[in-house]
Amino acid sequence: MRAILDDVIIRRGSFQLEASGTFSEGVHLVTGPVGSGKSTLALALEGALLPVAGRIGEEGIRSRILSLPFPEYHITGDTLAGEAASWGLLPASVLKTAGLSGRGGEDVLRCSQGELKRLVLSCILAWEWDLLILDEPYSSLDCAWKESFSRRLGERREGITIIFTHEDEILPRVDELWEIQAGRLVSLGRVPEAIRRWSRPPRYIRAALDKGIIPENITPGDVRDALCRTPG
Amino acid sequence: MIAIRGVSHRILEIPDLLIPAGRVAVIGPNGGGKTTLLRLLAGIDLPVAGEILIDGLAPRSREVGWVGEQPEREIIFHRVSDEISSPLRFRNDPCPFVDERVKALTGELGIGELLGRETRDLSAGEKALVALAAALAAKPDILILDETDSNLDQESAGTVEGLIRGISCSHVLQATQRMELAARADHILFLERGRVLHSGNPTAVFAALTGTPFHPPSWGCR
Repeated sequence: MRAILDDVIIRRGSFQLEASGTFSEGVHLVTGPVGSGKSTLALALEGALLPVAGRIGEEGIRSRILSLPFPEYHITGDTLAGEAASWGLLPASVLKTAGLSGRGGEDVLRCSQGELKRLVLSCILAWEWDLLILDEPYSSLDCAWKESFSRRLGERREGITIIFTHEDEILPRVDELWEIQAGRLVSLGRVPEAIRRWSRPPRYIRAALDKGIIPENITPGDVRDALCRTPG
Repeated sequence: MIAIRGVSHRILEIPDLLIPAGRVAVIGPNGGGKTTLLRLLAGIDLPVAGEILIDGLAPRSREVGWVGEQPEREIIFHRVSDEISSPLRFRNDPCPFVDERVKALTGELGIGELLGRETRDLSAGEKALVALAAALAAKPDILILDETDSNLDQESAGTVEGLIRGISCSHVLQATQRMELAARADHILFLERGRVLHSGNPTAVFAALTGTPFHPPSWGCR
């Protein structure tokens, strides 16, 4: 199963992004500052934005979804239970996963942004997707939920998971790192070797790199283990 | 000093709390009462019971600056200069005074080059800076940022933090999910289920939160 970007050029207004590379099965993290083109690439991979040049090819991908940064864009139900049911899911189970048990009758528009995000992510992760694209899945979540969803994303063993984010404190275990640098998608390779090539790592990873320590992966736990194992 | 006594409002229950002047980080889970507290401190809502005094005066007697979680949705004017000057124009300050204040403020914040731009053409980080400038235009006694950094990257959040450090505002309260940023505040409030469970300096509060997700990742092994 693969998604292949072959000399792709994507334009949105005056902005242009160039991308080449192959996303194979596993968890991929694509980072870059706000405005660097992460959402543009996410839309193109989902098929919602057509490249002006090059080709986006696929092998073996039968199902896909793009999780949008603002959860309200996904909402079609009028209550929390109705929204869960609209995904073909049993509301009680999804609401429990999202930490919203007993609130099925509430109006979705009265929920906080964080609660809506938990609901939508729980609905998305309740299904198996060959290609799961997540655009800023951590925005609006508190630290405990960021950690909880990170754990679930890091445990995905099948399919292609591509996480686009500027999150800098709680990240999942990933297989490959990518970075958008000056309008171009750059493959940094597989973790852990890729970590040393990361030009703008989160501060807690930078702290380890500055000491010459390369953690096994990029979760805060991996970095903590690496720092605590190393004397001095 | 901010004094809160016997406050009961929606989920929030605060019997007695003193918040020192300076930069205060407000942290804790979603739904724990952070926004409810900040809205009371801003005077947007009045508590059902209890009293809040900011340096001896009620919040609605103080000048308050507010920046929310999605600054781009709070911007109402097409031009950056109109957006930043709006709090002064709304209170009918004379035009020469408004122009001078906006020029001085944007110079101070280092965003003078944005003045001629249209707000819709700004990046998310630039919109946050414009919203911050608008919040500071009327020289607030208290500045509140409600998870403004949620949709900002590390660099933009760092820029906002640097600007806040440089301003002269007695009380800055910032709700955030970035524990590294909270660790650099003068004081931290940790709220959960409507209660202030911890209030103190970063060392004391994070000592109590060791082993939870609400702990700065770089403090793991010190």
